[in-house]
Amino acid sequence: MAEVKPTRMELIKLRRRIKLSKRGHALLKMKRDGLIVEFRDILEQAKEAIGGMVEKYNKAQEKLALAMAVEGVVGIKSIALSCATEPEFSIKKKNIMGVVVPVVKREKVRKMVQERNYGVIGTTARIDEVVSAYEELVDSVLEVAEIETTLKRLLEEIDKTKRRVNALEYRVIPEMENAARYIAFRLEEMDRENIVRLKKIKAKMETK
Amino acid sequence: MDMPGIFKRLIGTKPSEWAYVVSRVRVMSRKLIPAEEYNKMLNMELDEVIRFLEESEYKKEIDELGFKYQGLTLIDYALSLNLSRAYSKLIRISKGTPRDLISAYLRRYDIWNIMNIVRGKMFNFPSEEIEATLIYAGEYDEEFCKSLMLKETIEEIAKTFEGTPFYPALEKIVRVCPMSEFEDDLYKIYYNGLAGIKAETLDMKYFIDFIKMEVDIKNIKTILRLKADGASAEEIMTKIIPRGLQISEDEARKLAALEWDELIKSLEGYWFWEGIKDSVEGASLSKIEAMLDRLWAKKVLSKSHSFPLSVLPVMAFILLKKLEIDNLRIIARGKAAGLDVENIKEQLVII
Repeated sequence: MAEVKPTRMELIKLRRRIKLSKRGHALLKMKRDGLIVEFRDILEQAKEAIGGMVEKYNKAQEKLALAMAVEGVVGIKSIALSCATEPEFSIKKKNIMGVVVPVVKREKVRKMVQERNYGVIGTTARIDEVVSAYEELVDSVLEVAEIETTLKRLLEEIDKTKRRVNALEYRVIPEMENAARYIAFRLEEMDRENIVRLKKIKAKMETK
Repeated sequence: MDMPGIFKRLIGTKPSEWAYVVSRVRVMSRKLIPAEEYNKMLNMELDEVIRFLEESEYKKEIDELGFKYQGLTLIDYALSLNLSRAYSKLIRISKGTPRDLISAYLRRYDIWNIMNIVRGKMFNFPSEEIEATLIYAGEYDEEFCKSLMLKETIEEIAKTFEGTPFYPALEKIVRVCPMSEFEDDLYKIYYNGLAGIKAETLDMKYFIDFIKMEVDIKNIKTILRLKADGASAEEIMTKIIPRGLQISEDEARKLAALEWDELIKSLEGYWFWEGIKDSVEGASLSKIEAMLDRLWAKKVLSKSHSFPLSVLPVMAFILLKKLEIDNLRIIARGKAAGLDVENIKEQLVII
């Protein structure tokens, strides 16, 4: 407490800062709780999306196995040559309680049969089925990537907010309150010293 | 190389010209795996299936490719190699008109190879990967295909085909048309060339009818596939091969304009309806396609029995050999993927 100047001005300043910190603490607490609620909501979405993705992956694998069996590895490889285009997407930003999270704006990977890069006459419905299954899987992977990134950002923000709340609650505010108590005590002490000093001066003057 | 040129010489073919080829084909057909063997194979484990293949007609190809591939990939490539060898043998043992006709029909594998080389070049795939997809059963041999793969650009590949029926499609792809359009164009050129021959003798009529019926099967598959995917009548019409036996361009236009239920109903009366009518309701498209393939193979086989000294027994062999290869692959891959017997059986086309 040596660095704290025990002045009335300092006490006023400290009290103001304590009040501000407490308000900030309450706000951060609310933000943390809000983020946790948001996180839980997105977590449910993530569970659903991941479940869907796993299901789509299994379905796509099953379709691929069947197509490989019927069309042969040669046929499937040949079709794969024509499906070499990469999915297109852009990343935009969304604000959730001051947290900037990415929003993946993706072009739908799923295409109509006639829009695909392979001919219709020389291929079969089994090829369509396996290509559709994989297009849906890629869509699903992008969706999960978007949700997972949002979750990661939210988690980082929750962690940061939690640290701030704890720092305010267990360190900053108690320290400032201690300092305020110390200054108040010191000021009272100084007042008392002053009174004693005045009384002593008064007594000396009376004896004279 | 020029298809119309070949067909000019075909007019006036005599049935006797087919006698030698057909008798050789009969011997080759006897080596095909009989229907009851498939049921046995369905109950075998994967290792047993592979052993069965190693002790069959496919031994030579399996031994030959054994150093390069293994497991299911080896089976796949061995089956493809066996198929191309069987088809090449057909061309080798025939001469004159039958040879030209068989070669012209097998040019579908040239289309397959051209398509894969162009696809590979367009998407910068390594030559080894492109080569793995090629089947040398048509007119273009391994050397020619390898020389195409060495070309730097699609333009150079297209130039090689100048003067052939495939040139217009290749020239179009150079002018950046969609890959799908290019592939469909190649098949249209192929079928148009074959179905456009004037039938002046009876055996030529059998061949043209065979091609036209195949066009019908292709067209109905296309209509069903695109209709199920919500394509418009105009979009469907761009994928239709003209000159079908019953599904001509006009017929196709009528069918393409119908809603799904009406479309299924209006298929009554077509030659293929009898074979699929009982199971078309609620079946997936791939199952309908398998039904159509089964029906088509049965039809060709029965016709080949009715007209033994014609191109039809050869066409039936070509079809049955392809089905055998497909069936063996379905069993081997199906077993490896852990599909149940019923599921595998559904995919087989056993005649």
